[in-house]
Amino acid sequence: MKDLKHLYYFEKLLDDANNELVRKAQSEGRKCIATVCENVPEVLMDLPGAFTVRLRAPRTGSMEMGTYYLTSLLCEYSRALLERAIEGGYNFVDSIVTPDGCTMINRCIENMELLKTMGKDKENFFYEYMEIPLKADDNGLNLYVLQCRNHILKPMAEKLGIDISDSAIRKAVEEHNKICRLINSIGEYRKENDPRITGYEFHIITLSTYVAPKDMLIEKLEETLEELKTREPDKKNPYRARVVLVGSEIDDVDVVKLIEESGAYVCADRFCYGSFPGREEISINDTEDALTQICRHYMYHSQCVRYMNQDKIQERRQYVRKLAVDHNADGIIYEQLKFCDPWAYERMVGTKVLRDEMNYPVLSVDRPYAVGSSGQLRTRVQAFVESIEIKKIQKGAAK
Amino acid sequence: MGKEVGSERLGDLYTGGKVRRRREWRGLRDTMYDYGCWLKIIGILGKFMLLPRNIRGFFRYRWMSNYLAVPMMVDRHTAGLRGPQLRIAHTEYDLIVKDVAQLLGKLFKGDRNIGNNKAFSDKVVLEDENEMTVFMMGFRNLEGLSRETPAVYVPVLLNQDAVTHYIDIAQEFGLAGDVCPMPEAEAGVSMDDDFPILGSCAVQCNTTCDGSLMGNGVISKRLELEDGIPCFQLVAPIRHREDDVQEYAAQDMRNCIKFIEENTGEKWDWDYYFECAKRVNESTRYRAEWLDISKTDYPQVIGANLALYTETNYMAVCGKGQAFVDADRKITKIAEKAYKDKVMIVPEYRHRAIIWGVQAQYYTEFLPWLQNCWGILPLTDMLSMVSTRVLSEDDREKAYYDMAWLNENMIMRNRTHGGYKVLLDELWEICDEFHADMVILWEHMSCKALDGMHGQFEEKAREKGIHLVWASHDLMDPRVIPRQNIRDDVNRYMRSVMREEPLDPSLEVLDDAHSW
Repeated sequence: MKDLKHLYYFEKLLDDANNELVRKAQSEGRKCIATVCENVPEVLMDLPGAFTVRLRAPRTGSMEMGTYYLTSLLCEYSRALLERAIEGGYNFVDSIVTPDGCTMINRCIENMELLKTMGKDKENFFYEYMEIPLKADDNGLNLYVLQCRNHILKPMAEKLGIDISDSAIRKAVEEHNKICRLINSIGEYRKENDPRITGYEFHIITLSTYVAPKDMLIEKLEETLEELKTREPDKKNPYRARVVLVGSEIDDVDVVKLIEESGAYVCADRFCYGSFPGREEISINDTEDALTQICRHYMYHSQCVRYMNQDKIQERRQYVRKLAVDHNADGIIYEQLKFCDPWAYERMVGTKVLRDEMNYPVLSVDRPYAVGSSGQLRTRVQAFVESIEIKKIQKGAAK
Repeated sequence: MGKEVGSERLGDLYTGGKVRRRREWRGLRDTMYDYGCWLKIIGILGKFMLLPRNIRGFFRYRWMSNYLAVPMMVDRHTAGLRGPQLRIAHTEYDLIVKDVAQLLGKLFKGDRNIGNNKAFSDKVVLEDENEMTVFMMGFRNLEGLSRETPAVYVPVLLNQDAVTHYIDIAQEFGLAGDVCPMPEAEAGVSMDDDFPILGSCAVQCNTTCDGSLMGNGVISKRLELEDGIPCFQLVAPIRHREDDVQEYAAQDMRNCIKFIEENTGEKWDWDYYFECAKRVNESTRYRAEWLDISKTDYPQVIGANLALYTETNYMAVCGKGQAFVDADRKITKIAEKAYKDKVMIVPEYRHRAIIWGVQAQYYTEFLPWLQNCWGILPLTDMLSMVSTRVLSEDDREKAYYDMAWLNENMIMRNRTHGGYKVLLDELWEICDEFHADMVILWEHMSCKALDGMHGQFEEKAREKGIHLVWASHDLMDPRVIPRQNIRDDVNRYMRSVMREEPLDPSLEVLDDAHSW
């Protein structure tokens, strides 16, 4: 396929946490609020005068300092972030809001705070730790609203002078939804049998919306969507299977690239930093305050594995199944970052349920943070693709 | 060999086999007392086995065979003790043994696989092992029973290899090998169909850690979807010291009680709740007194038994039994007298240590080893530093917040979660309070909450001039880090940094790899 006009531009944004658009927005006086988890409603940090970025550590090499503080037994995402923070890679950030979600990320940010890695010359810099509901119910919603008010909105208003009124929040939701519509429209092309966008390209585009001021991406996203309408797919489909990629955080585009190079087209992305459910539109009405509606959306739409009630657990598997059906997937890849406790369990049970109860071929893998050109992972995916092909042949023969 | 502390070379008792060469000789009086207690434990076990359904349970459940090692477990934890400490330890352990035997008997009574007494089972609410069972403090006619406690938690105390089979089962099922072995083993028991099945409903919680929360999902899948036992997931906010999470926790406590009422037909009884609250308060007062004594030059109630007893008293019992308060009273009396008499636990106190982190469940007698081998006095430990908040004894509304508070401040998680202050900063405050010069830091390698503060512990200890000794382990899997490796962590530090010789050299290297 012909290269997408702006793909290189989007890709460049991923090279550095302090990317071109972050610098531009800050030069205009906007405040950058960092976060590390999808459970912090990003739309509340995208209020007029501010913008949010979700921290990554692109081009991670050594993690020795992060490993000293966190040991080699914590996931590499947390270690890589801490390493980058110690190196000064997040000095541009004006404040950080983190959930006390998974323990490892919490410890990572606490170490950042204890080591005074950020905010040295920013007197209004704040570290905020949020409590996130563990069940989706009314009680959880009350908590969520209170936490967002106390740990996002209040410090933003008091320390950074950001307008946190209902109207400002509604405006942010509108902007957020605009991005979601664009990403979803682009993502729709992944449903085609001969897709005109690769999973790799889509991941780059989606990822850029997490790490840069969203409003500054709209024009290029619109042009990309327009370009896709007439983009010709390859004459010969290079993929031998279609897979849904499910799992813990993936901010390394090489993961999807490696999978696709191994013959499996990533037709849906259900992981942190993916479009499902992170780029689902937030629907709000005029009768209830915007904050409550946003929290309700995040709580009920979240597919985070920390939600522990059985209804929510079952819903997670149905969600994956629905993605597989909608995107005509042949199989599912469950992945986790090594040492990630929540996803270790989710991957195990999800694999079992999707494979044994829902009859999908499932590949279950753990991986390092920066996957590079992992031969091991490549071999696993190649074998998985072959097994799917064999199953297809066997089914055909049986018919 | 005699009645004086430190008169026996304790390491010589190990043979390399399951049992030791002979019982420790503690002088005539203490030996007879200890032997009498041993006979009582044998009596409890014998009585337990008289019931045919318990025999069936013994052969039905793989983990039951570990209970053969109960007397040896008590012996390990009382090694080297004399006089008042021996009596304190036996008061604690013997009560725990009795409590666990009763728990097992009740589980088998209602178990669909064994006793299948439906009327009894309908009165049972299954409890998570890792929770304060406060939500049962107002149900006089119900039985709150934990399946994980006798299947996973206790067996590892008895026999270090007790749950390796279940860990393997979970990993064969596809669970990553780097998670905490405790929820991993619990999930493994569930997968292996090795839990008794009973109860009208179950209450799980997210206390302890991410692994525990997720492991519960595996267990509740079986309970709810296969066994038809509805589960309530009780939330304990992670940042438990924050004011803005307390209402959330209290409301979920209300929801939990309502859930139990709906599923059992029983009504919450405030009179019973306040009875229990009074007992919890009384235990707290006694415990505070023990800790105060430990701040002096003559500590009395310390070590592994303190942690295990506190866990049982607060988590499993939570004011629902008078026997524990009676034991607290007895222990306090013995300790007060021993303090006045300036009784020493070992011949020489070389270091006053705070034991921090999550203990190796397969080596809880490491604490007596520290005092016997190196003269390191384990003054108190992280698990014993549970909340000392006094519960309201008459205010119903406040009671919900008290219950929520206790639940949030479950033993261990009150330190491992809730922000770095409770784990890191408060350790140094405790060191000051107890005049400790040393911290023995259990590094449970799969505990991300602790590992995530590794560097900070090192730096702060250096700053404060406290000797920090890491003792690495893998909680319930001695195959990863055997007991001798844990001892070697200390041995190395004591010889190379402190330049000291052991009090009892026979304990430095022990052949206890197969020992019960």
